[in-house]
Amino acid sequence: MMASGDSRRDTRRTWGNGLHWLGLAARGLKRDLRAADVRALFVALALAVAASTMIGFFLDRLERGLTRQAGQMLGGDLVLEQGEPFSSELKSTLREAGLTLSDQVDLVSMISRGERFQPASLKVVDSAYPLYGASRVDVGNGVEPLPRGPAPGEAWVDPRLESLIGLQLGDEVRVGRTTLTVSGIIEREADQSGGFSSFNPRLMMHVDDLAATGLVQPGSRVEYEILAAGPPAAVSSLDARLAALKRDGVEVRDVRVDRPGLGRALERAEKYLALAGLAAVLLAGVAVAMATRRYVDRHLDTAALLRCFGASQRQLTRLFALQLGWLALAASVCGALLGLAGQAGLLALLTAFLPLELPPPGPLPLALGVLTALAVLVGFAGPTLLRLKRVSALKVLRRELDPLPASAWLVVAMASLVFGGLMWLYSGDLWLSAALLVGGLVMLVILGGVGMLLLSGVLRLAALLPQGSHGSSPTRALRLGARQLGRRRQASLGQLLAFAVTFAAMAMIGLVRGDLLTAWQDQLPEDTPNYFAINIQPQERDAFVETLAGAVDDRTALYPMVRGRITALNGQAPQEAVPESGRGSNALRRELNLTWRDTLPEGNRLVAGEWFGPGDTVSGAEASSNDAANAGDRAATEPSDKVVPISLEGELADRLGLALGDTMSFTIGADTLTGRITSLRDLDWDSFRPNFYVIFPPGVLELFGHTYITAFHLGDAQSPLPGQIVENFPAVSLLNVEAILGQVRELLTQVTRSVELVLGFVLLAGISVLYAALIASRPLRAHESGLLRVFGAGDRLISRVQGAEFAILGLASGLMGALLAELAAAGIYAGWLDLAPRLHPWLWIGLPLGGALLVGLIGHGLSRSLRRQTPMASLGLLGES
Amino acid sequence: MSSTTSSSTMSSTTSTSSNHDLAPILQARHLGKQVRSGDRSLTILSDLSLTVFPGETVAILGESGAGKSTLLGLLAGLDAPSSGELKLFGESLAALDEDGRAQLRAGRVGFVFQNFQLLPTLTALENVLLPLELAPAADNDARARDWLMRVGLGERLDHLPKQLSGGEQQRVALARAFVTGAELVFADEPTGNLDPATGERIIERLFALNREAGTTLMLVTHDHALARRCDRCLRLIDGQLVDMTLEEVGA
Repeated sequence: MMASGDSRRDTRRTWGNGLHWLGLAARGLKRDLRAADVRALFVALALAVAASTMIGFFLDRLERGLTRQAGQMLGGDLVLEQGEPFSSELKSTLREAGLTLSDQVDLVSMISRGERFQPASLKVVDSAYPLYGASRVDVGNGVEPLPRGPAPGEAWVDPRLESLIGLQLGDEVRVGRTTLTVSGIIEREADQSGGFSSFNPRLMMHVDDLAATGLVQPGSRVEYEILAAGPPAAVSSLDARLAALKRDGVEVRDVRVDRPGLGRALERAEKYLALAGLAAVLLAGVAVAMATRRYVDRHLDTAALLRCFGASQRQLTRLFALQLGWLALAASVCGALLGLAGQAGLLALLTAFLPLELPPPGPLPLALGVLTALAVLVGFAGPTLLRLKRVSALKVLRRELDPLPASAWLVVAMASLVFGGLMWLYSGDLWLSAALLVGGLVMLVILGGVGMLLLSGVLRLAALLPQGSHGSSPTRALRLGARQLGRRRQASLGQLLAFAVTFAAMAMIGLVRGDLLTAWQDQLPEDTPNYFAINIQPQERDAFVETLAGAVDDRTALYPMVRGRITALNGQAPQEAVPESGRGSNALRRELNLTWRDTLPEGNRLVAGEWFGPGDTVSGAEASSNDAANAGDRAATEPSDKVVPISLEGELADRLGLALGDTMSFTIGADTLTGRITSLRDLDWDSFRPNFYVIFPPGVLELFGHTYITAFHLGDAQSPLPGQIVENFPAVSLLNVEAILGQVRELLTQVTRSVELVLGFVLLAGISVLYAALIASRPLRAHESGLLRVFGAGDRLISRVQGAEFAILGLASGLMGALLAELAAAGIYAGWLDLAPRLHPWLWIGLPLGGALLVGLIGHGLSRSLRRQTPMASLGLLGES
Repeated sequence: MSSTTSSSTMSSTTSTSSNHDLAPILQARHLGKQVRSGDRSLTILSDLSLTVFPGETVAILGESGAGKSTLLGLLAGLDAPSSGELKLFGESLAALDEDGRAQLRAGRVGFVFQNFQLLPTLTALENVLLPLELAPAADNDARARDWLMRVGLGERLDHLPKQLSGGEQQRVALARAFVTGAELVFADEPTGNLDPATGERIIERLFALNREAGTTLMLVTHDHALARRCDRCLRLIDGQLVDMTLEEVGA
């Protein structure tokens, strides 16, 4: 009994004691906030947390938002597609897994209004459509978002059908054997699956009317789709079944895998933001390391006094650890709030571009932010803080008894370890983080050497300067400043390295930003085509070219287009020849657009093999002596005998498991044609130009039924050209993609702005480093200026000497920073962002000058209060000052 | 036991209450301290003995560099001797590591320093609270205020050291030394940084507080006026303590 009572009392005492120390540490911190170094520490930590949470919050929400949007574009989180109706067994399996289903049928059929006929792409939807989002449709009250499809007996149609066959709201349209009433004009469908690739205008109708059309017959080309919506876990639970479906030739589109995304621009932007976040954390870490040195120096007295008053090493450790723990917590909260505000700012900049509804911020980035603060504190301040524990109580009597400073190696090793861990955490790539870390450390050693050389160079240069004629002449100040810097070699080297890293990080983030923007502008230059013209008949071709001539630029090309279906790969049936993952590929079930051409199309890059030579322009290598004019006849007369060279798009080759030398057979109309892959191409699908999976050499496809397609840029919105085309070429479909193009451009602008906001954060973090470093070196400088003043130096001279010292420091670190930034940027471009490295000459001028100015200004400002002190105060003659 | 320990020449001249019936509060025997300076060994203290009883006031005088501060550090357990034995509150310091010595000091030993040793970012009140905060107690704040009141700084609680004069700073240090109810207070040149008039007032205050609290006081000083007020005066010469007569102190 007694024992248990004792232990209870002990427990209570321990608890009370713990609370006491927590409170004590909190009070200590509150008092400490009066000191500049603690404020610098706080600002640096808060900035690290703000940057990491802002970017974390933002990327997390963007990621989740994009997934949701991708689901909307796909039509569901999971889309299954095949050429026959799905079994009810499969549907109930999907429902049992927790998914909501919607059935959809796609087919191409002729529709008519009166005597006017037009092939249309029919999209047959049920009452559950759409699972996500809403279509923008005009049902008579202007365009409005409608989260449903057409009702039975009704049809919604593409506005192009008005010009093609004069369809208007309220009209009757004949679809197969039934008649529907046009009740809506579609501006945009809720899901954009297959929208652009099928050039036929859309007609959307209800599934109840499908049977009455009589269009679904054995042998007719119909695609059946199941659109399914549900949580990722529900989709994951079906993985085994989905794999089996893929093997059976069902096309499976899974939002987790087939995210259409927003192209490379956003992908690069995400990487950039992550990079900038890391840079901000690194900078904050450097600032923390700097501020900690001063913090520890200042607390050596506190520690010694507390030792005197009877505190044990453990108590001291606990007190300071708790105190900094509070600091980290407070900084985390402030930083996280700042980060939240920042990400809201980022979003406000970005939301205009897409109907992208983002989920609320999740808790994960917040946890990551707090973790970052603690990690930065432990990593960048830990070894230095251990000094406090080792303080001897005797220091109160003998001031010089300071414990040895933490070994620079230990500090660097610890900081590297923690920063490497953070990089790993943020990038998810262990090897990349390790490589960056090792590279960074090697750079640091090299920079240390360069820094030493620079400092001795500065000393030597200072000796060469003329003495100066009067007391505070600039050269004299420069000479004195340089000498002070050179003499404090160890401290100066530390500052030089810290500033160089800071400038390099700031410059790099700036550089990458500039080059990213350039890359984005190159991707969609001013003259990006904003009109597509399709279905140009061969006999209209010359007249069409003539109409365009003069109004559009010379690079505008007409591409012939032949529709063909893949029927064999290397002589085997496609479903057997392709890898399992490729069996559902829609390239195997749909007709592909084939073209012929003697030169590589603009924007295409050859990645393997060789482009067609002069001998390839006829069907077959042995017929090389024939000229191209005859080749067409030969191809037409014996289309199936010869193997012709073809060029295939690289990604499709990967999906279908094809390589150079493999053969592909196509059915075109009633004929079959076999091609051997002689080259693979890489192309940019976002380029707003006609792009083709398969290109033939001239002389093969000419006699098959073909039409032409072109894309051109029309700068003048008032140009009569579109009107002329519609009038003179009624069969030609003219698509204006200016709106989509504008949307993409807007996206790039918004992403650019968000990148700039993040750049601002990095710059702030950099300035916090300068601030922390200069705060840390203040006592030393105070002492020096005090001595100078005792020896009779005037205000002007002291101010100039300090200004010169800071300016030299800034200049030298700017120079080193330029070197570091150039190397690091080259590495990042080549290894991560997929951009070509290039030299930045202005960096080598701008960074040293900017550095001299920035360090000079901040340093000068901070030391102004020092100069106002009397020498008595700055030399510590008035007790503790 | 050496001559320095027992019958003090000063004790007859003052009427303080050195209670020799009690166990000594501080006892040093054959204390030695060598420090290494480069490859040479420098002897600062050798074979030094001293006994101090509760309630005594003892002054240690000596030239600059005689090792007064070193001795004070040893006696307070801030440093460990090279040889000899030292007992504080009856406990041998040899058996204790630095943490053990710190624990022994906690709450029982107070300090007053020549350069005050106030923390510049702490207010007067917070500086006085510092030693109290090592142990949780509800009335810490009230006690600190009370002691500041007793040194005449009741109106200056929230002032930072730089807003106080030298004398005022040392008064804060006095409050800090006595606030824990210390049994033994060490003072290292408490008037060394003060002008004579201010120093005089500080001494008055120190001895008054000492009387009120019944504390044992160990003073290191070269101020003979200050030393004269003590029960005993010892001079540190060649690493050893020598008793001083009233005449010597007065000189």
